[in-house]
Amino acid sequence: MAEPIITMRGVTRAFDDRLAVDDLSLDVVPGTILGVVGPSGSGKTTTIRMLTGTLGRTAGEIRVLGEDPMEFSRRTRGRIAYMPQLFSLYEDLSAQENVGFVAALYGIGPFKRRALIRRALDVVDLWDARHRLARDLSGGMQRRLELACALVHSPDVLFIDEPTAGIDPLLRQSIWDELRELKEQGRTLLVTTQYVSEAEFCDRVALIVDGELVAIDEPEALRQMVFGGDVLQVDTVRAVDPELLSNEPGVERVRQTAPRQLMITVHDAGSMTPRIIDALRTGGVEVAGLEEHQPTFDEVFTGLVEQRRAARGHLDTDASERGAMPNA
Amino acid sequence: MRSIAQSIIRVASFTGKELRELMRRPGVLLSLIVGPFLIMFIFGLGYSGARDPFVTEIVIPRGNELPRDPEYYANLAPGRLDVREVGENSEPAEERLRNGDIDLLIVAPENASTELRAGRQTTIRVAWNQIDPVYDQLAGLATSILVSSLNAEIIEQAAAEGISFAEGEIEGEVTNVPPEIIARPTTAATENVAPTAPEVLSFFGPAVFALVIQHLAITLTALSMVRERLSGQMDRFRVAPVSSMELLVGKYIAYAVLSLAVTGLVGVLLVGVLGVPLLGGWLVFAAIVLLLTFASLGVGLLISLIADSERQAVQLSMLILLASVFFSGFVLPVSDFAAWTQYISYTLPVTHGIQTLQEHMLRGGVTSIWMLWTLLAIGVVLYIGSLLRLRRVLRTAD
Repeated sequence: MAEPIITMRGVTRAFDDRLAVDDLSLDVVPGTILGVVGPSGSGKTTTIRMLTGTLGRTAGEIRVLGEDPMEFSRRTRGRIAYMPQLFSLYEDLSAQENVGFVAALYGIGPFKRRALIRRALDVVDLWDARHRLARDLSGGMQRRLELACALVHSPDVLFIDEPTAGIDPLLRQSIWDELRELKEQGRTLLVTTQYVSEAEFCDRVALIVDGELVAIDEPEALRQMVFGGDVLQVDTVRAVDPELLSNEPGVERVRQTAPRQLMITVHDAGSMTPRIIDALRTGGVEVAGLEEHQPTFDEVFTGLVEQRRAARGHLDTDASERGAMPNA
Repeated sequence: MRSIAQSIIRVASFTGKELRELMRRPGVLLSLIVGPFLIMFIFGLGYSGARDPFVTEIVIPRGNELPRDPEYYANLAPGRLDVREVGENSEPAEERLRNGDIDLLIVAPENASTELRAGRQTTIRVAWNQIDPVYDQLAGLATSILVSSLNAEIIEQAAAEGISFAEGEIEGEVTNVPPEIIARPTTAATENVAPTAPEVLSFFGPAVFALVIQHLAITLTALSMVRERLSGQMDRFRVAPVSSMELLVGKYIAYAVLSLAVTGLVGVLLVGVLGVPLLGGWLVFAAIVLLLTFASLGVGLLISLIADSERQAVQLSMLILLASVFFSGFVLPVSDFAAWTQYISYTLPVTHGIQTLQEHMLRGGVTSIWMLWTLLAIGVVLYIGSLLRLRRVLRTAD
């Protein structure tokens, strides 16, 4: 596995006495997309700003391209890009002029700039709107223009803060297509989003809630983490007793979602499917249909958050019990 | 070499961006050029510089031999007194003064000539009802002129009576000096040696011009930088390989170019259309404007770096404008203020701008060279201060 290009170790950021980010650790390897997912106010933007060096940290260590963001060299700054959450470009400049301005900030001369502007605007499908003033662009076009500005100097690492916030689903898909394309070109992306469903576009996903890292892994592994394995949805021709499968080896859990429907969690869907059909037939139940159920990421993250709360409740109970028995 | 070229590209990007943004707001641009000219034009047309004479009533008690013709007294202080009535009773006149029907009341002594011959001093009572400090001073001035003239009149009368008495006693000419010469032995022949005639528009034109340049530079810069901060652009600058020096120089150049362009246009209108003299050359004129702009941009940047919002930036700019109107010598001469207040005056770029522009345009050369150095010093100090502050701001939002 390649060396991480971004690392955070025990990073904490406090605003007065409130912890916005608490003891966060993560790695991002080159050429991948890390999605940072979490509800509004969970600390995603604070995290991304600490990574770009626009915000200091209270504790912990951060390395991006081998440097501390607070001490970035000019050369390293030239290799990264930051797309802020809010539209911050100049409304009185055209789309082309905005991209040109950002290109010039990176020291790109006027002759080379022209081609790069065209390429960046092409990527986000805004070339035809290049002469329109930024204030006359729709919200979605403004987000794409921000993205074009972030891309114009061909950065190696992109920090993109909520690129799809407030954008319709169709456009969200097209923006993610562009992000995936950038990843295919070998760039490393750290993208925050509050849309849980967008986790499936990422190579790895970090779930942040209340400034804490709840989980970080590949999307499929997170599914497994929540449901304890693959989930099979079985429809039968007559009502079925879930107890019929409870002792079957390889079956982790059986839930009855309807009189003639079971949701069965198994370790491996491929090997378990024929065995479950056999077990049901042996019990006198004909299978009308069987398919692997793909839980949505909303379900996955709800599950993860509930697991965290349960664990916390358990810890809190332990702590209060310890508090009640100081000598224990 | 490459990094110098990249620095130039970054500086130019800021300059170009600022100028483009301004060009996209034709209303702003129009008000920048037409506004100052229009203000000066209306000021020149509307302000005569002449103040209305004081509505005056004179009370000469019965038995006093002073003249009773109102025109006679009006002529003693030409243009300053509008003598409506010469009466004998002071009480109704006092009432009219308190009611504001008249501005000035003069009550002559009952028997001035007799008292003078007896070697005793008498008192002329003068009263006015003014809350305006300028009019209060002018009333005092008009009064002293009038009292001097009345004194001379009384001396003249006494002298004439004395000569007549002596002539009667010795039956011959006792002196060849006329009484009016005894009363007024000298007259003044006046001459203003200034190279230009003291006209209201000529005098205030450069002052308004300097004030407009300062206000323009302060407001535009303050708002520009505050907008960058509030819009989140500072985060972009923090991440990009941009230095605070490149950012500042880029903005300075943009506003210097703009100020010079506006100055050129307004200057041509000022001299060519309004006829304000420009005895010095255009080059020095531009240099003064550049120094004034440089210093004013520093003030604007300082405001932008301490203001939390556009509204606060505008408020602070307006405060500077207000301070400039009062303390810069625009309305009241700086020398009229207490010494410690003059320090406030000299920290304002416009104080130096007004005086040096007036000297250069109306006298043909700047004699207060130290003021140009002061402008440069204000500019350099504020530039360095802004640079250090911006460096901190750009380093981190923390």
